[in-house]
Amino acid sequence: MDINSRPVVVKRMPERLNARTAREFLRDVRPFLAADRPQVVFDLSLVAQIDASGVEMLLKCMSEAHKRDGDVKLASLSDQAAVVLELTRTERLFEIYETSTEAARSFSGFLPNAMRQQLLHNKRSTPLAA
Amino acid sequence: MDIRGILLANSEQNVAENQALGAPLATLDVAGKSTLQRMAERLQQYGISSVSAVVEAAPSSGVRNFGLPSDVTCVSAAPDRFWRTAESVFNDMAQSGAELVVLIRLGAYAEVDFEKQVQFHIDRKERVTRMASDEQMLEIFCISASRRNDAASLFRTQLAHCRSECPVLQHDGYVNPLATTRDLRQFAIDILTRQAQTCAAGKEIKPGVWSAPGALIEKGARVLAPAFVGSLARIRSGAVITRCSSVERHAEVDCGTVVENSTVLPFSYVGAGLDLAHSIAGMGSIVNLHRDVTVTIADRKLIGSTSVAAGKRFLTSAAEAVTYLPKLAFQGIFAVNRAQKPDLQTTLRKTTPALGTAAGFETSACDTETSHKFPNMVVARRYGHQ
Repeated sequence: MDINSRPVVVKRMPERLNARTAREFLRDVRPFLAADRPQVVFDLSLVAQIDASGVEMLLKCMSEAHKRDGDVKLASLSDQAAVVLELTRTERLFEIYETSTEAARSFSGFLPNAMRQQLLHNKRSTPLAA
Repeated sequence: MDIRGILLANSEQNVAENQALGAPLATLDVAGKSTLQRMAERLQQYGISSVSAVVEAAPSSGVRNFGLPSDVTCVSAAPDRFWRTAESVFNDMAQSGAELVVLIRLGAYAEVDFEKQVQFHIDRKERVTRMASDEQMLEIFCISASRRNDAASLFRTQLAHCRSECPVLQHDGYVNPLATTRDLRQFAIDILTRQAQTCAAGKEIKPGVWSAPGALIEKGARVLAPAFVGSLARIRSGAVITRCSSVERHAEVDCGTVVENSTVLPFSYVGAGLDLAHSIAGMGSIVNLHRDVTVTIADRKLIGSTSVAAGKRFLTSAAEAVTYLPKLAFQGIFAVNRAQKPDLQTTLRKTTPALGTAAGFETSACDTETSHKFPNMVVARRYGHQ
């Protein structure tokens, strides 16, 4: 098993994620993303409103992390954030975990149960006509 | 016999739901017509030609007839005056010679046999009779117009109590409680899958696909049965409407967006390259039925609205038409290379153009290697196949 000793940065995202706050947030996390093989977790539990520029910022962070062989993972998605990510087809580009701890632990090894909630949601049969 | 009808539509029963969508559920279009319209038409089908509707509306919203037939009198009432207005409409009917009044609060949509109900009322010789479906009491009453005190007590208790005995007639036809947004969505499904007698307000252009007059389905868009496209609605190229989805009048679904098992409310805009599933979208918000959550979307590139005023819509379209050629010329001169027209497969796999510089990320719809080997499988598996 790969023992990972590099630090995992957990950042809590602001309540409103619009063009201005997304820019500020990106400025804050850029130093972490510029590190070698960055491991970053965004906690979206507080997010009550997110628009296209917020999602765009998440994708920018992800591509910057990928450039340096790192990854960005999402945790504790609020319903609002989850709906917007689904709507913009971006939720499948990220690993999403129930808690920040699980997301952070997932950098050191695969956690078979951590994403159970998400999988359950995806598999849940439609209550309405399919 | 002079029989008349009163329809009541207010939002006391489902305040939270109405706040989400900004109007009483009974006034929202479902497959081309509101429940209010459908009920008024049903009353008229049974020969109850004199129908009045009392609809709760904010004083600022002005006079509207909510798409009701021209011979239906529509009275708007402020929330605090709603029940008084309803009572005075009843009294006016009684004074003008009505013998029997069928009173319906929407509420539930029930496909009632009014002939049977009136006959039941006459046979029982009671002042007020009511309908019920299984264990659920329906707010559908038959009131002898001369019994104003009984009617008054009903109105003053918001239809909760009747001062005299109120025999109940069991209804065994279609009922939708229409108490939540989930019921509203289910109603659309029931109409499109013909579970209800009432049908979509449009022409069946192919089996299971209804289109109302003026609906525009652009070349390259796919509408899979069962589905409904309302009058003057626009489905842009590359969009997919599928699985009992209903796009109501004047709504617009932009390029490459997939609308699956969802309702797009009238005068709404759904941005390009989105995945709208198991939701009701419009009025600047999305009600996601899977997660049971209402999300306000401030970003108009994702969910927006078009103007209800025809003049404003005309001006917007005129401005678009006037700027179309200069825009093309500008793009022709300054664009580095002209983007190739994407096919449906590619469009469905990419993130929305609303994401600006992050637009166009590949998000494989069927995230397996198989999707590359059998590119046509993606659409066939996820969105049905024609």
